[in-house]
Amino acid sequence: MSIFDFMSGKKKPTPGEIAKERLKVALVQDRIKVNPELLELIKAELLAVISRRLDIDEQHVQLTMAREERWDKLQANVPIKRQKVAFEWGPPAHTSSITGVYGKVRVEVEREQ
Amino acid sequence: MNSRVITITSGKGGVGKTTTTANIGTALAIQGRKVVVVDSDIGLRNLDAVLGLENRIVYDLVDVVEGQCRLRQALIKDRRLPELYLLPAAQTRDKNAVTSVQMEQLCQQLRQEFDLVVIDSPAGIEQGFRNAIVGADEIIIVANPEMASVRDADRIIGLVEAAGKPEPRLILNRLRSEMVKRGDMLDVTDVLEVLGIDLLGIVPEDELIIVGTNKGEPIVYDKRSRAGRAFLHAAQRILGEEVPLEEVTEAPSLLERLRRLMGFGPTLAEKQVRY
Repeated sequence: MSIFDFMSGKKKPTPGEIAKERLKVALVQDRIKVNPELLELIKAELLAVISRRLDIDEQHVQLTMAREERWDKLQANVPIKRQKVAFEWGPPAHTSSITGVYGKVRVEVEREQ
Repeated sequence: MNSRVITITSGKGGVGKTTTTANIGTALAIQGRKVVVVDSDIGLRNLDAVLGLENRIVYDLVDVVEGQCRLRQALIKDRRLPELYLLPAAQTRDKNAVTSVQMEQLCQQLRQEFDLVVIDSPAGIEQGFRNAIVGADEIIIVANPEMASVRDADRIIGLVEAAGKPEPRLILNRLRSEMVKRGDMLDVTDVLEVLGIDLLGIVPEDELIIVGTNKGEPIVYDKRSRAGRAFLHAAQRILGEEVPLEEVTEAPSLLERLRRLMGFGPTLAEKQVRY
C-alpha cells in the first residue's frame, strides 16, 4: 500500500503482489497436487449441486486454492443472479416419524449490493 | 549437557546459507557459547573461506567419519574467538561419501564438546540435505524474498516435516526495503503468510557482506552493518532472548512521515510480524 493507492482509490497489483498471488497458487499445487483440471472438475460438480437450488451466474464463478494463515484453502466465489431466492424444505420421505424434523425450513438468499 | 544441533538450509542455492551459518555461529560464540560450525557441503566447501580459515585445513569431516583422524584433529579454532570452531567439509569427495547414520553419530560426538552445533547444509533436497538435517534438533530456513527461493523453502518445510523434525524457523535474507516500499518485492508479511512458519530474523541486503567475505571476516563484527546487527539479533533469539525485530526500512521519507502523521495505513512497525 502506498500513498498513491489511497489517492487514486483503485490500484493495479504491484509486482510484489503478483508474486505473492502466484506463489500462493503454486505452493498449494506443489503440496497437494491439485492441478487446474481437477479444479475444473470440482467446479463443475459444485455448480451442479448449487444450481439445483440457486440461480447462479456460472460465467463468474471462481474457484481457487491458496495457502493462507497456515491452511490450504479451497475458496469458491459463487455469484447469485436472482434478487431473492427462496425455497421450502420438508423432511425427506424416509425420515422416521419419531426422530424426524417437523415443519419446514425456509432459506432466503439475498443478493448483495 | 543441553547441547543443540541447528541446521541451516534453504533448498535453493545462493540465498545465503553459508553466510548465515558463519554469522550466526560467530554471533553465538560472541554471546559466550561454545560453538562449532559444520560445513556439510561435501565437495563444495566454502564455510572455511567465509570465516577466513581456508588455509588451516588439515583434516575434514569425511576423515573424521571414516576414522582417519580424531574429531579434535579436524576441528579448526577460530582466529578471534577461542570458543568457536569449524569442522570443514572435504573438498575432494562427493556428497555420498557420508551416510545418514555416520552423520547422526558425528552430531552425537559434537554434542559432547559444544553447546551449539550449527550445520551448513548443501543446496538441494538429496542425500547431502538429508545428512545435514538427520541429527538436527532445530532447522533454520534461509530464503530470499523472491518466487524461486520461497517456493523451494516451502518444499523444504514439507521435507523437514516428513523427517519428523519440529517446524523450521525462517531467516529472510537480502531484503531490499526500497523495493518492498515500491511494491516491487515480496514483503516479510507476504512470505510469512505464504510459508506459515515463524520468523527468526530479517536480514537486509548489504554490500558489506561481500566486503566481509572478501576479507574472511563475518559481518557480525562490523558495527556499521545492518545485516551484521540482524544476524546478531537472530542469534540472540536462538538463545531465547526477546529482541524486537529490527526496523527494515531506511529512515522514513517525508511522504511516508506525512502519511503516518495523517494516520493512513499501517506503518511497518505496526504490521503483525511473528517471530
